[in-house]
Amino acid sequence: MAYFTQLLIDALLLGGIYTLMAIGLSLSYGVARVINFAHGEAVMLGAYGAFWGFRLLGLDPLMAIPAVAMLGIVVGAIVFRLTILPILDSQQENQILLTFGIGLVLQSLAVMAWSADERATNPDYALSSFELGDLVVPGARLIGCAVAGVLVAILFVWLKFTELGRASRALADNREAAGLMGINVPAMFAFVFGLGVALGDTTGAIVSFILPVTPFMGFSILIKSFAIVVLGGLGSIVGTVIGAFVVAFAETAVAYYVPDGNGWAEAVAFAILFVVLVVRPNGILGTQATL
Amino acid sequence: MQKVCLSILAVAVAVFVLWLPFVATSQINDWMFRVAMLCILAVSWNLMANAGAISLGHSAFWGVGAYAGVLSANSLGLPILPATGVAVCAGAVLGAIIALATGRLRGVFFAICTLALSESLRTTALMTPKLTGGAVGLFLVQKLRPGATELFLIGTAAAIFAVLVSVVLAHTKFHYACRALRNHEGAAQMLGIDPRQYRLAVLAISGALASVAGCINAWYGGYLDPNIAFDLFVTVQAQIAPILGGLFTIAGPVVGSFGIVFLSELSRIWLGAHEGASQLVFGLVLIVGILFMPKGIYGSLLRFWARRAGPAVAKPAGGPATIIPQVQP
Repeated sequence: MAYFTQLLIDALLLGGIYTLMAIGLSLSYGVARVINFAHGEAVMLGAYGAFWGFRLLGLDPLMAIPAVAMLGIVVGAIVFRLTILPILDSQQENQILLTFGIGLVLQSLAVMAWSADERATNPDYALSSFELGDLVVPGARLIGCAVAGVLVAILFVWLKFTELGRASRALADNREAAGLMGINVPAMFAFVFGLGVALGDTTGAIVSFILPVTPFMGFSILIKSFAIVVLGGLGSIVGTVIGAFVVAFAETAVAYYVPDGNGWAEAVAFAILFVVLVVRPNGILGTQATL
Repeated sequence: MQKVCLSILAVAVAVFVLWLPFVATSQINDWMFRVAMLCILAVSWNLMANAGAISLGHSAFWGVGAYAGVLSANSLGLPILPATGVAVCAGAVLGAIIALATGRLRGVFFAICTLALSESLRTTALMTPKLTGGAVGLFLVQKLRPGATELFLIGTAAAIFAVLVSVVLAHTKFHYACRALRNHEGAAQMLGIDPRQYRLAVLAISGALASVAGCINAWYGGYLDPNIAFDLFVTVQAQIAPILGGLFTIAGPVVGSFGIVFLSELSRIWLGAHEGASQLVFGLVLIVGILFMPKGIYGSLLRFWARRAGPAVAKPAGGPATIIPQVQP
């Protein structure tokens, strides 16, 4: 029983971080209908931002979050304006290939600038843990999950109660009508896309003391985020939260119960993604067929 | 006239590349081999794209073909051609399975699905060392391996065969049906085109072609591990070559393959000290290609000729190789 409770704790902590990881992808699809294949690279760059802040300035990775997030919004909005906006209304394939290419460029620039070495930030709490009876709670994941939870909560409040948040939801509902109501559609798209990138960067800063930081970390993060977003229903933010916890639970369970589980756990996200797309492409909470 | 010139040029190039392995240095032959493999992949990717199926998982076909070729050779002692036959079957079956499994998926959903599939195949290969050798890898039995000249010849012949397949297909109803499906699936269905059948056929043909490339390449290298077989880089190259050369054309993938190998060698020579330099070049090609040159090198050339020929014959030449304007789905 203690074994299962430990599994639950690990899955919950992982799920919180996964929520923040995938929610940026979900947001930019929901509002701007852009599938960002470079989302994993946003996480990677955020992790490097936190790493260099820690290494050069002695900055705590959590303190680096505001800086990387601001940078993410600005750079994300500019990239959107320059590259994605011109092809937004052409076929979806072009979007896929374009953002894929952007990801490729960012990844190879990171390899060239910082080499392929594995790095990590190690603040004091990174290796700490405390015990609850038989159970072990790793400190780094607990702090990461708590910060992620707070940020996701702020995002929900922002979407619900602020002017820009309402505008975003209006755009997600009906682009044409929102434009007629006086919302500046391209600017709003650029802002929301930037926000998605910033959420990715923030996730990067958090995972910099949980996962090894390498230029290639983005790809598996991208696939996991896809699995989460598709499972929850493309474009549904609440669905994304549910999806994150389901994927985290499935991965942890495989790692716990299957022989060689840690290796297979990597494939769980792919398997979930494949099965969901084949069986129910709309996911758990996806309402309209976006095929 | 232009069409006849192009056909003569194509035959001349084919004869020339078939003659090369007997005379050229091993460096040139190595380049040509890479062009040939990439050309097969690009033709295969282009076929799928032509039917509206954007694949981000061509490394799945490549890897399955490689493992099918090497494993069947090692266990049954097959020489290269029968082993390639096994790879063809494996690739076609995988393509058919994907087509059946993803029956309802289009556009981005299909793309993500293929990406996930190739990555799960990589993990599976990594986690089943009894079959694939796992992370340690797998060697082809040395005494089965043909000589270098023979391998180069087989590679080139396979590339020419792949291009021929696309030429033949381009003159059949099949090609037009696929194009109709890409442009507007609903309208195509109204005309009696069954999307499921055509997608099944396209994915099977395309998968078989890509598997051939994977198999021959594995025989050339003599060694396989999951990260080589299911390398994301294969997928990236398979999509960049047709985009650089000219999407939905016959000549595009061929031109693009030469271009990509040329660019990657250039970047290796100029920026060789930096890891990831050729990836950077490929990423830039992808971005620039989609934003500024959506018809690729071949499309730009066609436009240039049309302009030089003057306004009287400025209308696009007929035939299936012509690029038609994109219609919004």
